Amino acid sequence: MMPRRFLALSILVPVLWTGGLSASVDFNRDIRPILSDYCFTCHGPDERKRKGELRLDTAAGALKGGETGDTIVAGKPDDSELIHRLFSTDPDEIMPLPKTHKKLSKGQKELIRQWIVEGARYEEPWTYVPPRRHPVPPVEGNDWSENWIDNFILTRLQRENLTPSPDTDPVTLVRRLHFDLIGLPPTPGEVNQFVKRWKEDPSACLEATTDELLASPHFGERMAMYWLDLVRYADTCGYHGDQDHSISPYRDYVIDAFNDNLPFDRFTREQLAGDLLPNPTVDQKIATGYNRLLQTSHEGGVQAKEYLAIYFADRVRNLSNVWMGATVGCGQCHDHKYDPYTSRDFYALGSFFADVDESQHFKVGSNSLPTRRPPEIEVHTKRERQRIAELRKLLKTARFADEAARKQVETELAALEKARRKTMITVAIKPRTIRILPRGNWLDDSGPVVEPAFPAFLARNNPPPASARLTRLDLANWLTDPDAGTGGLTARVMVNRFWYLVFGSGISKRLEDFGGQGEAPVHPELLDNLAVEFYESGWNVKHMMKLLVTSRTYRQGSLTSVVLRERDPYNRLLARQSRYRLPAETIRDNALAISGLLRTDYGGASAKPYQPAGYYRHLNFPARKYAHHADDRQWRRGLYVHWQRQFLHPMLRAFDAPTREECTAERPRSNTPIAAMTLLNDPSFVEAARVFAERILKEGGKDDKARLEFAYREALSRLPDGKEREIMTRLFQAAGKEFKANPAAARELVSTGQAPVPGNLDAIEHATWTTVARAILNLSETYTRN
Amino acid sequence: MDPALEYHQLQSRRRFFQGAGLKVGGIALAQLLGQRSLAAEPTVADDIHPALPGLPHFAPKAKNLIYLHMNGAPAQQDLFDHKPQMEKFFDKELPDSIRNGQRITTMTSGQKRFPVAPSRFAFERCGQSGILMSELVPHMKGIADEIAMIKSVHTEAINHDPACTFVMTGSEVPGKPSLGSWLSYGLGSESQNLPAFVVFTPTVKNPSQALFTRMWTSGFLPSKYDGVKLRSAGDPVLYVKNPPGVRPGDRRSMLDALGQLNRKAFERFGDPETQTRIAQYEMAFRMQTSVPELTDLGQESKATLEMYGPDVQKPGSFAHSAILTRRLIERGVRVVQILHRGWDQHGNLPKEIKNQCLDVDQPTAALIRDLKERGMLKDTVVVFGGEFGRTAYCQGKLTRENYGRDHHPRNFCMWMAGGGIRGGLTHGETDDFSYNVTEKPVHLNEMNATILHCMGIDNHRFRFPFQGLQQRLTGVEDAYPIKDILL
Repeated sequence: MMPRRFLALSILVPVLWTGGLSASVDFNRDIRPILSDYCFTCHGPDERKRKGELRLDTAAGALKGGETGDTIVAGKPDDSELIHRLFSTDPDEIMPLPKTHKKLSKGQKELIRQWIVEGARYEEPWTYVPPRRHPVPPVEGNDWSENWIDNFILTRLQRENLTPSPDTDPVTLVRRLHFDLIGLPPTPGEVNQFVKRWKEDPSACLEATTDELLASPHFGERMAMYWLDLVRYADTCGYHGDQDHSISPYRDYVIDAFNDNLPFDRFTREQLAGDLLPNPTVDQKIATGYNRLLQTSHEGGVQAKEYLAIYFADRVRNLSNVWMGATVGCGQCHDHKYDPYTSRDFYALGSFFADVDESQHFKVGSNSLPTRRPPEIEVHTKRERQRIAELRKLLKTARFADEAARKQVETELAALEKARRKTMITVAIKPRTIRILPRGNWLDDSGPVVEPAFPAFLARNNPPPASARLTRLDLANWLTDPDAGTGGLTARVMVNRFWYLVFGSGISKRLEDFGGQGEAPVHPELLDNLAVEFYESGWNVKHMMKLLVTSRTYRQGSLTSVVLRERDPYNRLLARQSRYRLPAETIRDNALAISGLLRTDYGGASAKPYQPAGYYRHLNFPARKYAHHADDRQWRRGLYVHWQRQFLHPMLRAFDAPTREECTAERPRSNTPIAAMTLLNDPSFVEAARVFAERILKEGGKDDKARLEFAYREALSRLPDGKEREIMTRLFQAAGKEFKANPAAARELVSTGQAPVPGNLDAIEHATWTTVARAILNLSETYTRN
Repeated sequence: MDPALEYHQLQSRRRFFQGAGLKVGGIALAQLLGQRSLAAEPTVADDIHPALPGLPHFAPKAKNLIYLHMNGAPAQQDLFDHKPQMEKFFDKELPDSIRNGQRITTMTSGQKRFPVAPSRFAFERCGQSGILMSELVPHMKGIADEIAMIKSVHTEAINHDPACTFVMTGSEVPGKPSLGSWLSYGLGSESQNLPAFVVFTPTVKNPSQALFTRMWTSGFLPSKYDGVKLRSAGDPVLYVKNPPGVRPGDRRSMLDALGQLNRKAFERFGDPETQTRIAQYEMAFRMQTSVPELTDLGQESKATLEMYGPDVQKPGSFAHSAILTRRLIERGVRVVQILHRGWDQHGNLPKEIKNQCLDVDQPTAALIRDLKERGMLKDTVVVFGGEFGRTAYCQGKLTRENYGRDHHPRNFCMWMAGGGIRGGLTHGETDDFSYNVTEKPVHLNEMNATILHCMGIDNHRFRFPFQGLQQRLTGVEDAYPIKDILL
């Protein structure tokens, strides 16, 4: 027996690497994913498709076995039909059936055998077990840990015989902090200050800087960038004519919410059910725009009933992706294949939204811009109202130096008062009757009527009061109540995403799917503790972000090594920090910030940067002409850029910004020639380069050496080394020669964009430095978060 | 000394030299570090855009796909599905036994009558196999023996948006990858200087419908599998042109400097993404040169140009797109898609469909001939069709001369030709009103399965996990290639 066991384990090693080298097999980590992937389609939760009376997703089902006898005999793999079938070579016997085109690897088969040898223990899927606090592992001789996160990380690394990386240098760290927390680069002054404080006391420096950044209004913008992907926020309705719709105040609400550190449970309640709160405030009404973010069709000839069914499914998919880390959308046609959600659960969850007034647009949703999707209200956002109050008070109380000063305040006030924006909100009407649609067919009215209800298997312990119909508010409460609902699970889904935002990938890899097709967490206890910390802190987002970035784990250098690359190629164990390309919006913001062009106005209607002519040529109903903003709005942050679902701005698209048709929890980070051409040639970036060059010339000192150093410090927070100086000098000389021969070309280049062209600069010199500036903006390092 | 630089110098030495050679993109880092000269040749990966491991699943019949999408839905009764029996029913009610209570759009559901509108165009049998085609497509008649005409295609969607989304992504719900993105993801590209998947959206006289980027974008696949639009106005590819005042020479010195600096960053951080980025900047540079070469028709013979018809030199025309399509396929581009708008004839159909056919008939036939003459047709599968069909009954006022047709998803015609397809046959049949499939129904999923099959892909094994499901282009149900039309 010994040799076989040895063989089995040696095969296990590569399979198990994410789960560590522990000697025993862990059902949730090792076995469930295999069963889910290969077996549950026919032997899983979907009763109607179940084959051979065998169910493998529950212990009871496995124990009972199928029609062909002892499926699993604990401890006795050779008596287990499952093992026989998996290892069979007979095409009539082997599982999975050849026609499924799914084949287990040898390692996977051995893993299942080993699991049966060890007793074939089932565990409830980790994702539905509420998180609990685990004891923090003590680490011997540990002076590395800064907080308890580090103990979990370090324990695991020690088990793997790995060591954490040394702290990164303070310059890299301050850049990392700025990009992660506010999505903008630090200025050279901020870098210097950080380095100085770091030398005095690294931990105190990190804490103070974190506090400053969390208090910055840009923190909310950075977090909103991510939230808007999740909830699929866009400025247009998506289907057919892809007309604009009125929703930008919702975007500003999200930014405000993160900046004001609105507890996440309230944030949830206000978006799902702000209208159902007692005496809802304007902001709570704006928040209910969440329920209206889905795509709507204004195509001639659409059947309202069909589209209401489409909207219904859209809402369930998004709600379950965002708050539950689940893919309940599968239930539209059938019980979920991998997770315990039934088709009834799908329709019952959707029924919570049966009262959302969404059918007015079928009558009045014209092809105008914006289209009409009542109910809509005209509002000032929170910050706008605060500013109005401030100005009014000022006018009443302040003594102005002269009439001009007063006039200025009056003008701003008048402009603001006029600047109300329309926004879609949720208004509850008499709920539509919701039926289970057989196979999702909206033409079939034969299915039973359902009322709002929580997924049956999750609500087991908390039977809802049966007296009144459940509402969206009940749903929001259930999602955020760790005791009488699934608050703990929601917290775990969210903290995993916070983790992703500062470490580059989640503790559980699939940020939108914690189900059978997801991935068990690499650090399950840590993820649990973070989840508990989140709700026990009062759903305090800033607290969580601070906890993460003040860990020692966060501070590590990102350099990889031969050993790490082999042992942990995706850096899941975090023996180092991660380095990755910045998100699309941040690439834009970074270039604009370096150039000095960035306008940091807060909130407001969406902005329209330069866009190639004719890009909207194929939009119709109505035909579209794009006019970029000819004023300061041109240089606003990427998150404010007009989000045209069907023709997303090509720069955003080239760097993987999603179309926001569906929930996006994690963006790909592609690396393409189109992206290269965008950074080289998009006028926004060329203009940024020539304005940056203007700064280099005016602020960078007298000689070329000082100027190059200035440019590097502004863009990369460091000085160029000898080789870099050489390369840049060669480029500088080549460009200089070229422009001297073609002064007209120089003038052309430095006139790119609408920023005023300085009259007092030599065009040839300016163009030459523009070339250097373009090169700097195109450096991999410039748009890599390290 | 600069703190960031100092740190990295220290760390890189310590960590990189722990081992003999860090393998990155096939190049040992030690080897790179040994190359002190920064002016060394750029280390472009052998294959920028390789196929997935294990693909194709079996020997492909075709390497490339050309998809000619007639957006708006051409009327099958007026082009390929000849129904002389409808003549007797002119202006009579469509029999209930045919209509069968099936759903219709809200554009005609309010009509009091559903009078049958026979086609006013003459049909004839073409080629050796006798495929029926109308007088609207005289040039296509000449390629009849290359074509497998499928008369029994059907779909579920009855409105343009979901139908177009389905025809190109296999799903009515947005967010799924387009056919071209799937192929580009699975099979990669053979071109080192052009994208794997190129899209044309020629201009038409009466655009009438809208196009959606989701017909050529990558959905849940990474955006690098997006189709790249070749435009007729402005930059042929977005941002392919240098900024004003920057000349080709400047561009090269810029790229050289960037390459050298990025290689330095690679030495410092050992991040393979940096290496890929160097390669992508080089590819961008090559695209900047190869795109103008591609669009220069100077080397095309007079005979070839004439074959494509009078519009061939007009950028933005279907004919121009068609000849560029051949040139792209020649240069190793995997998928080319032309989306031709304007086929949504709810009224005034006879006049408008004629205009549409004037756009596409001759260039389409020329494209098939041209590919064949160059020996490329056998490696290229070509698809022609819309997103659904049109109704036998008239929308609006019916006269002998004029009529309109509403949307009809229950049956329509598409044809295929080229690599792996048996030419000169008709597949499937419909009833006397072209209203219901009577023989060999072909769902759009089966059309897509057929396309994948021609390209060596088993549609059931070609998947990607998203939203808890192993997603496939051809949907969750089994869908098999149309055996009868395969070689």
